[in-house]
Formats: sequence, C-alpha cells, structure tokens
Amino acid sequence: MSKIVLSGIGKSFGDTPVLRGIDLTVEAGQFVTLVGPSGCGKSTLLRILAGLEAADTGTVMIGDADVTRTRPADRNLAMVFQSYALYPHLTVAENMMTPLKLRDLGLAGRLPVVGPIFARAEHLRLKKQVNRTAATLKIEALLDRKPGQLSGGQRQRAALGRAMVRNPVAFLMDEPLSNLDAALRVHMRAELSELHRRLQTTFVYVTHDQAEALTMSDQMAVMMNGQILQYGRPAHVYSAPASLEVAKFVGSPAINILPGEINGTGGLSVMGKALAPDTQLARQPVSVGIRPEHLTLDPDGPFKGVIRHRENLGSDIFLHVQIAGLERPVILRSHPKVLAGTGLEEEVTFSALVDEVHVFGADGLRLRVARPSLVEVA
Amino acid sequence: MPGSRAYLWFIGPAIILMVLILLLPIGIAGALSFTDYSLGNTSANFVGTENYERIFTRTTYEKMFGATFRYVFVVVPLTVLLGLGAALLIHSLTRFGDLYKTIYFLPVMAALIAMAIVWEFAFHPTIGIINATLERGCGTWLEAWDWYAAGCDRTFPLWLTDRDYAIWTVAFIGVWQGFGFNMVLYLAGLTSIPRTLYDAADMDGAQSGWERFRLVTWPMLGPTTVFVVTISFIRSFQVFDTVEAFYPQGGGPSKSVYVMMFAIYEKAIQQNLMGIGAAITVVFLGFVMFLTILQRWLVERRTHYV
Repeated sequence: MSKIVLSGIGKSFGDTPVLRGIDLTVEAGQFVTLVGPSGCGKSTLLRILAGLEAADTGTVMIGDADVTRTRPADRNLAMVFQSYALYPHLTVAENMMTPLKLRDLGLAGRLPVVGPIFARAEHLRLKKQVNRTAATLKIEALLDRKPGQLSGGQRQRAALGRAMVRNPVAFLMDEPLSNLDAALRVHMRAELSELHRRLQTTFVYVTHDQAEALTMSDQMAVMMNGQILQYGRPAHVYSAPASLEVAKFVGSPAINILPGEINGTGGLSVMGKALAPDTQLARQPVSVGIRPEHLTLDPDGPFKGVIRHRENLGSDIFLHVQIAGLERPVILRSHPKVLAGTGLEEEVTFSALVDEVHVFGADGLRLRVARPSLVEVA
Repeated sequence: MPGSRAYLWFIGPAIILMVLILLLPIGIAGALSFTDYSLGNTSANFVGTENYERIFTRTTYEKMFGATFRYVFVVVPLTVLLGLGAALLIHSLTRFGDLYKTIYFLPVMAALIAMAIVWEFAFHPTIGIINATLERGCGTWLEAWDWYAAGCDRTFPLWLTDRDYAIWTVAFIGVWQGFGFNMVLYLAGLTSIPRTLYDAADMDGAQSGWERFRLVTWPMLGPTTVFVVTISFIRSFQVFDTVEAFYPQGGGPSKSVYVMMFAIYEKAIQQNLMGIGAAITVVFLGFVMFLTILQRWLVERRTHYV
C-alpha cells in the first residue's frame, strides 16, 4: 500500500492547456473521485497517473518512487476503462489471465499451446488466481464466454476481474459505470464501494456524475478547466462548496443561485429581503446559493412565486417556482403530502433556512459568514 | 394485406437482374462446357465430359494448373505480408503517411498493361536496367554467391524468356502491383482497432511492440486478414494482363506462364473453341466459389467476435 502524490501536473494538447498545475495526494487505501464536466481534464489526469499519457510538467510519485518516466506496465496499476476494453477474441478467463501471463511468465511459458506444458506449475497457479478473483466477483459462470456474449453489467465485472486479478497498487477507473443503464449503475455503485471496503486498496475513480462521487468516495476532487477547485470529503464539498462553480456542479437538482447583497452594517439580503442581520462582511454584491431542501413552503415566508412545474418523485416533490425578476425558476423540495391540492400556476410563499445558505463574492469564491449571528428572519 | 403481391415489386428487379447478368451466363457457360460449340456456329454437338477429361489429362492443362498455382502461392503470401508490413509502418508514422500511401498505391491504380511494357524494358537482357545493374556487381564480394558468379561468367538470366525464371518474374510483378491494395485494406482495419485496447494492453504489462501486436493488433485484424487473403487469392487466380502483354502468343517459354485466365482467353477467343473455354471457366468458377465459401465460413466461425 502506498500513497500516490501528483504534483504540479501540467499538460497541453497543442495550444490548448488541459491541466494547469494539478496537485493531488491520494492516501493509501482511499477511494478518491475526480469529478467534473466533460473536457475538464479529469480523464487526462488519470491517464497521466496511469502512464498512458506523459505530463508536460510535474511529477507522479507512487510510494517513495518517482514514476513520472516509468512505463504503465511497470507502475503496477490496474485500469478499468469506460468501454471496458476487453480483448474480444479471448474468453473472460483468458482476458483475466493476460495481465498475469505478461507479468509472471517467461517467454517460453507464454507460447501458445506449448506454453502450459513448459511452465505447468506456473500456469496452474495463475489459473487458481483467476478462479479466486472470479469467485469474488461471482463471475465463475462467465469464464468461458467471450466478451461479445456478455451483457453490459457482465462485461463490467469481467473488466473489474481483469484489473483485480494481480493485486495492483491502485485501481484507476475511467467512468466505468457510464455505459450501464440507470438501475444497474445504482446497483454497481454499492457494489464498488463494497469491493473497496473489502480490498482495502486505493481507488482513483473518474466520473462526470456528481452522484457517483458523492455516494462512493472518501475524498472527491471537483475539477473544472484543468484545475482542482475543491478537494475534500463529499459531505464537506456538498455542505460547504468552496466556490460558486462547485456549488452549481455538486447536487441534484442544482443549487438555486439568487442575487443578494451585504449592506453597510454587514446585513445579508436576498432580492431585497433581509436574511441575516450581521455577517461581519464588507458591503458588496453577492450571490447566494440555497439548496432545494433548504427552502420550505411557509405561509409567512418572505419569498413569493408562481409554481411553473412540479416533479413528483414519490418520496419528494420538487417545485419549480418562478419569482418575479428572476430569469430561472427557483427549485424547492417538499413532501407530496404537504402539497396535496396545490396546482400549477398557483402562488406560493416560502422561506429559507438561513443557517444553510452559501454566500459567494463577486469573484465566485465562498465568503465566510459569521454563522452564530445568523438568525432566521421570518 | 394478406394475399398482396406487393413483395414481387420489391424483390423482382433484383431477381431479374441477378438472373439475367449472373445466373443465366453461368448456366450457359456450364451448358456450353459439355459441347464443342464455336462462335458463329448455328449448332453444336454434345460431347459429354470430354472437355473436362481433357483439362485433367492433357499436359497443356497440367502446365496451366502448374503456372496458376505457382503464381498464386507466391503472390498471395507475399502481397498479404508486404501489405500488412507496409500498413503497420505507415500507421506508425505521424507525418508523410499519406505520401507513402500514395506511392505504394500507385501500382494498383496504374494500368497494368502499360506497366508491363515498362517492366519488359527493365527486364530486357541487354538494354534492361536490371541486368545492367547486376553486371556492375561483378568482380565484388557478391561473386561469392555461386548464382551471381555464374551470371557474371556467362550472362544474367533472361528473366522473361527463360522458362525457369519466367513465372517467378511475372509473380514478382504481381506482388509489386498487388500489395498496395492489401495495404489499403489493412490500413482501414488498423484504424478501426479501438485505442483503448492498446491502453489496456499497456496496463496489463505488454512491454514490446511485438507483445502488443500479438495481443491486440493481429487478432483484431482477423476479419480483415480473412478478407484480404480471399481477395488476394481471387485476384491472383484472375491474373491475365501481364501474361497477355509479355506473351501474346502461347503463354510464355514452354507454356510456363500459361495461367488459367490466359488459357480461357486463348481457347475461347483466339482459337474459338467455346466448349473447352467454357469448361476451364467452370473449373475456375469452382476454385473461386470454394474460396468464397471458405471465407464466409471462417468469418462466421473464427473471427466474428461480437
């Protein structure tokens, strides 16, 4: 078990900078997610870590070794690809055997047909290893099939098996779930977390789906435009986003951003409604982020709007409420029972949980608000 | 609509065309091969399997099969291997790939009959560039090679008119002309191999180019290879224009370059012996049919991965 340290990683494709000085430390055994919109450089970063791509600047350390110039094969990392990249002409067992063969067998042992005779003991050992991994993943029944005869989920497992079979230093996963259907994806999320707990190995997981990052990882790094905007525990990233961009990216439905301002005495107001008396901040225009679950229907609430759309998920209901003077409707979460009888185009009033609002300055960075002084203004 | 005949309008044109321009001519050729028909005759005599007996007993046809198979079994492996080699080399280039593609593909596009005249000059025993070049090597270490020394002593081979060399020389031109075509097919095959498979091979520990080739490139080119080999076989069985250009009379020295296509042409067109010409055609069709069926079988059984 060794920790992985990326420092000062920069990479450009032609004139386009893709990564701008990335520093990232992955502690041994952690499940770290790199999450961001497409084109943010997260896959490139993973490929640099794997050794499939060379960084223009910076170093990659695994344990105490500098592997910046080391071939992928010698880094002892395993990768699961979005397309699974199983060898289509080999059975699942042969696919899983491949990394073992290439690493552990000499030239003679690798020969087709006669190889198993030359290195009989070796072959039996490797076969046992394949069977053990297959048992862990419950894919023993698939071992003799070719990838073309498998479903998406089964291929996913076979690809995992090929990665697991040789006990690598870390698993690198490049959007491994994005080719699966929604139900299977949710199921595999749980299974991957379970696998991580069991193997106790480092996972570096790339995804564009913030839900995967929030649900599975120990640490998540939110990337945008080739930079890491925030690195921390998912709960922390969700509850204290470091910038407006992070706040908008993490969470579904997305956070509501309302225009607000800090007045001369440090009081915070949103759309002219006072929210907090003293934030101890200087006078400035701000953006206020409020998550849908922190808005509540309230007959005496300060905000007023018309329901434009309702999304009933059964357990929750999301209302899209149009407030006069705002371009986009505000989304608020409620319970279907609360809303029984409330129809479209009706006017509702609501209030915000002041303890949970996020305040961002004009530069998009989070402003530290003096929490204790915040009191809900009815 | 039950009972509707609309389907006839959909399949009708295709069936009519196929019968008219493919099946009917094959049927007629098959029928003619059992007769002694000549073009212009109003009638013909049924001769049974006499034409076929001749093909499989007379020495002329023995030479025909000999020349054809020599040509095919030199040209097919060499064009396939050279095509694959050239494609791999060009595929690995970052620049000038298009230039090389054009250069190697030029012989394929050029009219072979015109190229044959150029080759005829090049192989000319006295004024040809090839023997002239070989003579320059006389007196050097090259003479350590017996064949070379003998060439210097007397004269270098009369490439096109020596019966020991003629078919190999024609085969050489066939290779020169044909491998560019296979290269293009292999290039198409190479571009369709997903990049991630090479990434996976790298992660799995493939160190050398050879390991990557064994693990990814060669298996993934399987369907291409089956197609390339089949098309090369068919194209080499069809060789005609070089033979016709070099030896318009009679198929080379001692009929050593008397390939099937030329035999069909000579018998059926030059000598107006339609019956025997049709019989050779049917045998030829049999070869090509066998190869095509073999290809289908291989593609479906062995290399159809998905």
